Order: sequence, then structure tokens, then C-alpha cells
Amino acid sequence: MPDLISYLQFVLAPQMLNGLALGVSVILVALGLTIIFGLLDVINMSHGEFYAVGAFGALALSALGFNYWVLIALVPILMIPIGVLTERFLIRRVYDGGDRHVSTLLLTFGLGMIAEDLLKIVFGPNTHRPENPLPGATEVLGVFIPTYRLFLIAIGAVVIVAVALVVYRTRLGAMVRAAAFDRNMAASLGVRVGWVYSGAFAFGVALAGLAGVLLAPIYSVFPTMGHDFILMAFTVVIVGGMGSIWGAVIAGVVLTQVQAISSLIISPVWADPIVFGVMVLVLMFRPQGIFGRIGHA
Amino acid sequence: MKHNLLTTTTIAMLLASGAYAQETIKIGVLTPLSGTYAGIGQQVRWGIDQSVEEINTAGGIAGRQIELVYEDSEANPAVAVTKAEKLFTVDNVDFLTGTVNSGATLAVGQVADRAGKLIATTVSFSDAITGSGCSPNVFRVNARAGQQSEALAAWLKQEKPGAKVYYLGPDYEMGRSTVAAFKGRAESVGATSTGEVFAPLDSKDYSQYFGQLRAARPDVLYTSVAGNDTVRLFTQMNDFGVSEGLTILGASGTVTAQNINAIGAAAEGFITGVGYSVLIDSPENKAFTEAFRERNGADPDLYGADSYGLLFAYKAAVEAAGATDTDSVRAALEGLSWETPQGTKTIRAGDHQAMQPMYVVEVKNGQFTIARSIAGEDAIGPDTCDKF
Repeated sequence: MPDLISYLQFVLAPQMLNGLALGVSVILVALGLTIIFGLLDVINMSHGEFYAVGAFGALALSALGFNYWVLIALVPILMIPIGVLTERFLIRRVYDGGDRHVSTLLLTFGLGMIAEDLLKIVFGPNTHRPENPLPGATEVLGVFIPTYRLFLIAIGAVVIVAVALVVYRTRLGAMVRAAAFDRNMAASLGVRVGWVYSGAFAFGVALAGLAGVLLAPIYSVFPTMGHDFILMAFTVVIVGGMGSIWGAVIAGVVLTQVQAISSLIISPVWADPIVFGVMVLVLMFRPQGIFGRIGHA
Repeated sequence: MKHNLLTTTTIAMLLASGAYAQETIKIGVLTPLSGTYAGIGQQVRWGIDQSVEEINTAGGIAGRQIELVYEDSEANPAVAVTKAEKLFTVDNVDFLTGTVNSGATLAVGQVADRAGKLIATTVSFSDAITGSGCSPNVFRVNARAGQQSEALAAWLKQEKPGAKVYYLGPDYEMGRSTVAAFKGRAESVGATSTGEVFAPLDSKDYSQYFGQLRAARPDVLYTSVAGNDTVRLFTQMNDFGVSEGLTILGASGTVTAQNINAIGAAAEGFITGVGYSVLIDSPENKAFTEAFRERNGADPDLYGADSYGLLFAYKAAVEAAGATDTDSVRAALEGLSWETPQGTKTIRAGDHQAMQPMYVVEVKNGQFTIARSIAGEDAIGPDTCDKF
């Protein structure tokens, strides 16, 4: 019996808390992805690179002497013009021509490759790591967990709720959803659809940048970091339902817990196949995912 | 004009007669000058060029100058075999070196067997080259993979007798074989293994293994992760307080100049075994590193140092044998001891593996420092070659 208690306290509980921190990380990356898909109907393959740009931006700005807590607000704001310019000058050009999914997917895929190489040229191929702003560990119910991860879970929850409130509960969100649902009708009711699209894309990009800043102290910063979370983020978006915020949240928490707990029991290498197996099952039996899409909800 | 022509002709005649009287010794260098391993090939080339310059200036080998013939192996065994055949049959080289990846060394060794020529590698790590795949015509002057484990195990025996060891490796061939090799050596010096885990390559988060690691209560962690995986593993261990009271040993590629800055304070106290370090405090190494920096504007690494040392062994063997034919040089190389920047190396006659002092290095204040040297005999391991 003491063995069981110490297993729960030292192995299972920390594992689940870590899984939760990882889950919040994945959801932060997936949020922007699912918003851009739900509102613009664009599969943004360069999302991982926007996440990397955010992390490198934080690195460069902190080298200039900016405080980390300032960067959490500053980097997403600086990402907005990048997002607006990308939408205006690149996405919009191919948006209405032919197969939107294929052309925007190819465009953003190429954009991601260019961004990754630019980061490599500017910052070099080696790994960097910003100082952890909250070093040390905190005891929660007899379990030690690094303070920064607790902070990450907390701020992640705040960001998720804030984003959901903006999209589902504000007038702005209603306008955006209206534009996504029926562009022509929204336009004829006075919604400036062009700006709504730019704004929605920039919002997704800013969220990717925010994820970059928040995760950099844990996962380190390097040019190919964009590939890191993007596969898991896509899985979460697909399982949760393309475009659904709550779907992404629930799928993110469940899938990372599956990963965390299964890697205790079986070889960690098999944790990924299990997660992707869940995705395959969802696609087979409920192709639209757990929840619907923002614009069509 | 006439004067010039006369001078040129005279010089040409002198050179021609000189060459006639004393033929050069041709050495083939088959090394990756392009591709993934071009960086290693660069060190090989720098090391060999420097040694040839020094030997030729001092009068060559038994009065004969060395002539190098370079070929690009592209780090591809198939290309290496073709180029080796060309070097042996067309260029008629007396000796061949430079092969980097272990597959190329093993394949070129077979070409050398058929051609009746000798080769030596200065880079390849695989134990097979002087073990199960050994050949009478193949020599290795660098430390093989097993010697690193031996050096670390010798350290473990002296510093942490009876330690409880936990192993964490990347989940692919290299990770599993390094862990298996070190585990075997550690247990043979009295350590207890408390568990092992293999994490996928490029793992984001190692915290999922910390529970098992804590529950096993080890004194020592051995790991062979590399690159960015090391950055994450070490910093996450630090964040979670897992590294407190834990000594971390690792493969020589785990912490390198590329990632040590990103790891920062979490690299403190990391210990590994290496065959060469610029920090080795000997007059030979000081002279070598200074000349190397002067020539190339970069520090030598182990590949540069091992390649630099090779031709001094060849020179000693040819001068002792008084000939360059394969049988005489082979006999002279077997058991040969010579001085290198790393200290005295000795070629073991039984498997053609060089024995050399190994160095246990430790990270202190963000820099590698030499913690201890392990005598060559203590780090060589058994002779498993049964082909000659």
C-alpha cells in the first residue's frame, strides 16, 4: 500500500501535471490554427514557423534588454502586422482562385520553409534558450512541479477563456463569425469583410507568437522548432473538430493525458502511435471531429 | 629571357633527376570533402596536411617526400569503394587513410585486402572495424566507441564505487548500443543498474520519464542523447530538481561546443570520456594546437588530432622496416609506439587497434576541464579479433 501511494505521489500525479502543462502548450499552438481554419477556411501550414518567429522575437528583444513579462504582451502585438501583411499580400491573392484549400496550403507550406531558412540565416542553426523567468519548483499537494509550468498552465487557461469569450461572446466575434458563415450577406450588412479576414489571420498569428514566447523557456529556441508542436496541434484540431475552440481544448487535454499516462506503462515510442491512432479512429467514425466549426456552429 | 629559360630547364632537370633517384611516397586520402560529413573531412585534411608539411620539411620518410592524393568519398561507402580502387590501381598509392563513416572504412578495408595494400582510419568509431570485422590490412589509430565507455567505467570505479546507475538513451541504434555498451562496462566494475528508458529522438518533453527516474533513486545517470535533446533533457531535469545529488555521465557527443551555451548552468558537472581535447597539457599538444590554429584559424578536434598523428606512425614503421611493401610495413606497425598530441599511442598487434590514454572531462563554470586521464591499457578492453 505505501508503494501505491508513493507511486501515485511520485510517478502518476507529476506525470499527469506535466501532461497538463504539455496539453496547455499544444492547445496554445492549436488555438491560432483552429481560428484561422474556422474563420478563413485556410489550413495554415506555416503556423509552426509563426510560433518559431515569436520565440526568436522574444529572444532578440530580451537581448535588447526587454523584461520577459513585457515580451508576453509585446511579441503578440508585433506579430499582428506580420499577420496582416501575410494575409493582404499572399493569402488573399490565391484565396478566391480555384481550389482554396490546396492553393492556400501550398502557399503557407512554402512560406513556412522560407521563414525557417531565414531564421537559420539570421540566428544560426544552434539552439538558444532564454533564461527561465520563474526558476525553482513549487509544492502542490506533495508534488513538486516547476513554478514556470504552473504559471504556464494558469496563463494558458486565461488565454483560452479570453479567446473563446472574444470569439463567441463579443460583437466583434459575432461579426467575424458572420463573415465566416456567409461573406456576401455579412458584407451587405456593413461588415468590412476584408478587414475581418486580415484581422482574424493576424489574431491567429499573434496567438502563435504568444505560444512561442510562453514555451521558449521550457522547450528552447532553434530554427526548426516549428515542426515540434505542429503535428500534435494539427491532431488536436482534427480530433476536436476543425475550427472549434472548445474541441481543441478538450482534445488537447485528453490526447496529452493519453500520451503522458501511456508512456508510463508502455515504451514511450508507442505513445505517439496511440495518439495518432485515436486521430485515425475519430476520422473514421466522426470525420468532422468532436465539435463543429466556429463559422458554422 | 634566355637566362630565365635556362634556369627553368635546369630546375626542371634537377627536379626530374631528383624524383628519379628518390621517388615520393604516395599516400591516398579518401575523405568526405562534400556532404554531411564535410566538416569532419575538413579536420582530417587539416591534420594530415599539417603532418605532411612537418615531415617533408624535416626530410621526409627515409629521405623520401610524401605526396598526397585526395579523393572525395562523399561519406558514401559505394563511392568510397570506387575511389579506393582508383587510388590503389591508377594512382598506385602506397598507403590509404581518411575514411570517416564506419561503413566506408569496412568496405574500403575489403578493397585494400584485394589490392594487398594497407589502410588506416583516423575517425571511424564502430567497434567492428578492429573487432568482428577486423582485417590484417586495416589499422585504427583513433579511439573506438568501446574505449569511451571503458574510460567512463574506470572513472566510475574510482570515484563512485558500487554506484546505482540509471540509463536514458535516444531510441535508435546509436542510443541503444551506447547504453548497452556502457551498462556492460559499468556492471563489470561493480555498479548496479536500476533501470533504463529510451526516449524518441527529438523528444519535446523529458519530464514524463522523471517519475520512473526518481522512483529508481539512482546516484548516477548515464545518457547518450545529443544536440538539442540534451538541451531539453538537462534544463528540464534542472527545473524539476531531478539533477540534485545526481552525477550525470554521457557520451562524448552529448554536450558539445554547439549546445553547451544553450544548456547553460544545467551542464555543470557533466562528465564524459574523450580521446582528445585541446586542453591536454603536454608540450606536444601545445605545439600541435598552436600550429593548427595558425594554419587553419580553428581549433583542432579529435578528428584533426588523430589524423595529424597517423603519418608519424607510418613514418616510424617505414623507417624501421626499411621498405614500403605491405608485409614489412604491417609487421613494423604491429606493436609500434609513437608520440602524438594525445600522448603515447601503441598499436595492439592482435587487432590493429591503437591504445591511447583516454581523458575524463567535466564541465566546470561552463567550460570543459580535464578531470582525470585513464591509461591506455585500462581503457582498451579485450581483443576480439580472430581473423589474424
